[in-house]
Amino acid sequence: MIKNLRATILAGACALMAGAALADTLPAPQGEVILTVSGAISTLNGAEVLALDQRLLDSLPQHSFTTSTIWTEGTATYSGVLLRDLLAASGAKGATVKLTALNDYTITMPAADAREDGPLLAYLADGEPMSRRDKGPVWLIYPFDDVASYRTEQTYARSIWQLNRIEIAN
Amino acid sequence: MAFVAIVVLVVQLRGELKRLQEEPIDSLHWNVTQMELDVVRFEAAARLALAVPGSDLGDLKMRFDLFYNRAATVMQGSMFARLGLSDAVTPLKTQMRAFMDETAALIDGDEVSLRAGLPQVVEQVGALRQDLRATAIQVIDVNAAMEDARRASLSGMLQRLAIASVTLVLLLLGLLGLVVTLNRQAGRRAREVQRITSRLAATVGTSLDGVIVAGMDGRVVDFNAAAETIFGYARAEAVGQPLSSLIIPPQHRAAHEAGMERMKTTGIRHVVDAGRIKITAMRRNGEEFPVELSIASNDSPEGMIFIAYLRDISQARAAEAALVAARDEAQAAERTKTSFIAVMSHEMRTPLNGVIGALEVLGRGRLEPRQERFLTLARNSARQLLRHVNDVLDISRVDAGASGVLDDRFDLPALVATLVDPLRPQAAQKGLGIEVEMLGSFPPLMGDPFRIGQILQNFVSNAIKFTDQGSITVEAEVLPVSPDQVELELRVTDTGIGIAETDQERIFEDFVMVDPSFGRSVGGTGLGLAISRRLASAMSGEVGVESEPGQGSCFWLRLPLRKAEARDTAPQAGQADLPVTPALDVLVVEDNETNRIVLEDMLTHLGHRVTLAVDGGEGVEKARAKRFDLILMDLSMPLMDGWTAATVIRMGGASRASRILAVTAHVRPDAMDRFAESGMDGWLAKPLSTRSLAEALAQGADPAPGAAPASDDLLDRERLEDLRQITDGGGFGRLLETFRVHVEKTLAAVEGGVETDPFDTMAALLHASVGAAAVVGAKRLCEEFARAEAAAVAADRPALLAACKTLPATWAATWAAFGALTQPG
Repeated sequence: MIKNLRATILAGACALMAGAALADTLPAPQGEVILTVSGAISTLNGAEVLALDQRLLDSLPQHSFTTSTIWTEGTATYSGVLLRDLLAASGAKGATVKLTALNDYTITMPAADAREDGPLLAYLADGEPMSRRDKGPVWLIYPFDDVASYRTEQTYARSIWQLNRIEIAN
Repeated sequence: MAFVAIVVLVVQLRGELKRLQEEPIDSLHWNVTQMELDVVRFEAAARLALAVPGSDLGDLKMRFDLFYNRAATVMQGSMFARLGLSDAVTPLKTQMRAFMDETAALIDGDEVSLRAGLPQVVEQVGALRQDLRATAIQVIDVNAAMEDARRASLSGMLQRLAIASVTLVLLLLGLLGLVVTLNRQAGRRAREVQRITSRLAATVGTSLDGVIVAGMDGRVVDFNAAAETIFGYARAEAVGQPLSSLIIPPQHRAAHEAGMERMKTTGIRHVVDAGRIKITAMRRNGEEFPVELSIASNDSPEGMIFIAYLRDISQARAAEAALVAARDEAQAAERTKTSFIAVMSHEMRTPLNGVIGALEVLGRGRLEPRQERFLTLARNSARQLLRHVNDVLDISRVDAGASGVLDDRFDLPALVATLVDPLRPQAAQKGLGIEVEMLGSFPPLMGDPFRIGQILQNFVSNAIKFTDQGSITVEAEVLPVSPDQVELELRVTDTGIGIAETDQERIFEDFVMVDPSFGRSVGGTGLGLAISRRLASAMSGEVGVESEPGQGSCFWLRLPLRKAEARDTAPQAGQADLPVTPALDVLVVEDNETNRIVLEDMLTHLGHRVTLAVDGGEGVEKARAKRFDLILMDLSMPLMDGWTAATVIRMGGASRASRILAVTAHVRPDAMDRFAESGMDGWLAKPLSTRSLAEALAQGADPAPGAAPASDDLLDRERLEDLRQITDGGGFGRLLETFRVHVEKTLAAVEGGVETDPFDTMAALLHASVGAAAVVGAKRLCEEFARAEAAAVAADRPALLAACKTLPATWAATWAAFGALTQPG
């Protein structure tokens, strides 16, 4: 019993230490890769890339907010990982972030714009996974309702859906 | 206005800009285009899958999903609605929804059915592409139009904003200009206020009067230099001190405080804004002195203030007191002098009357021619002296207001005649005639005939004195003023030496003679006109003169008079009512024969014994010889007049204690001091009526003056009635007979001498007849005699001839009328 407890504690400590080491390495994806991060990053789990499946995304700090958008009717609660957190997790060093969608739509933005109240890499809408036919698998979305300054043409243009690639550049 | 417009515009603009910023209009544009691309790619993938059996279908599925996502987004969103294209795209939407659902089923199904459905998918997607293309172009067009409209709206808004801004700028410039102007004005005003303030300060500072400004609390606010001098306080000492303890004497302080308190509580002011007042003030050293002050109040921002202007009038008061004292002294001296003169005159007159009386008595004895000359000289001198004394006394009497004004009924023509007639001989001596012109009609008037007579007599006497040749005209005129009131104007015009303009006012002053040497040569005190003026003003009238040196003068008298009421026409009281008096011995001293006869008849009729004397001297002689109960004394007689005669009678003889009554036509004797001194006991007014005479005899008192008789044209019937009553028919006849003899004698003489005799002879002849005719009531005859006499006096032969021509006819008519009167029945 005590042994088990000790083992558990030890395991927890190991897990913590492993978490710290996560800054440099992440396990290879086991499921379908949803998002690939490349470029000036320090955390890799594939060939020059950080490939993220659903499980890896879920392991990152989760964030959500509720907002309406100009493309949808009504409001919805979007959940996922803040771009900021993803950049931190990938050890991104670059100043520019280039995001590309399945249909090769690409936008570029300063890394500094990835703030806590900023863009979210959402993959759940009202708790449901977002399909490829409905902006999925990942939609970079801003809290339009909460932050008025995001209701601009530029931000609308940056709200890239069906996102699957991110490249960090200097 | 412009500002509001700008605010509105800015708000609008901001809204517009915000909408521009937020609205993802071109996102539709983009998505529609992208959707077309997605369709094309999907079609390509479908064709590839169809062309290569067994190829991987993953790309086809992804392309479909991408198209699906795009189509769902575009269809679902409100973008078409915003562009107003909802209806236009409905068929497309339906078509796409059907295609998407159908194809999604194939894509999500097994590979075999997918591949089998591919040809159909390719065909459908081709058709869809065409429609999408058309829609895309439509969207672009509409979007472009919207953009244009929006830009136009924005540009219009900006333009309006610009206009409003320019307007605002202009407005601001205008306001700026206004502010600058106002600022300048304020500056000017400030300088003006500064100037006024300094001027005011200088005015107050240099004022010769003390100026003290005090507040509502009674404390001094300002104290000028003059106030410092007057009160002895420096300004610094005075300011802030209460007025009451500073300049108000202790005994007046309570009243001052009470006054201030009353003003504070009730607002009633007795002193403030009440003009000049005189009060007592106090200097620093406690000395009290009179000040004249006026206090003004003013509302200042600090509340009510009072501004007192004070003048030290102690010197003025002293000067005033000195003046008053000097005046009083002068008046006292004047009074003393006047009273001295009055007393002296009075004292002189008694001995003077004695002297005159003695001279008269002396004159009745036998004298050598030399003695006779000296006696005449002494007599004339004494008379002149007496006249002077009387004038002076007259003046003091009138000045003292001792004589009241009579309000008696009188007949003006009769008054003028009785006054002028006695002066005719005097005028005739200088070869002058006196013409009387009564202009218009003369109703009986109410007034003081004695005073009017005195003035007229003075005027005529003066005219005679100062005229050497020519004539004297007396004119009388009555001008109606109202139904009851008239203005009487009497004018005496001469052709004498005249009076220089500068002397015309002066001659009415006391003791003024234009040429004293001349005045002495004609005799006079220079008081006659002064007395006339006093008498006239006592009757509310005035006297004046118009004159041209060398041409003559016109003296006039104007008097407001009342018309007499209609005469009482009731029959006169009969003889039975007359007072009964025991038979008396009566001496009648009268120079006029007719008057003598009338008086004698009246007295005889009343049962008295009558003795007659023809002048003053004979009267005195008879009175000394026998004691009479009553002496009736005519006042104006040649040689010795009535006054003198009365005085002499009183000096000794049998009748020294007898009752003496003056008989007079034109002077009211009791109004004169000499009346009492002469020893007269009373007086009777001519013409006498039996009644007045009887009453006078009975009462021994002054009867009312006889009323002037009414008259008709030819005869004075009342007078005749009176005469008939007193003369018992026989006497009346005798009187008329005497008169007839006199008139016929006169007419004969006139007829003989009218063309050749000297004027003075004619005048004397006619004068006697004037009086006689008046006594018997031969009115028209009297007037004609008077006219003839005037012509003779005036040395006017043609006028004399004309006047005398009608005399016989008038006499015939008069005698006929007398005859009718004497007929029985």
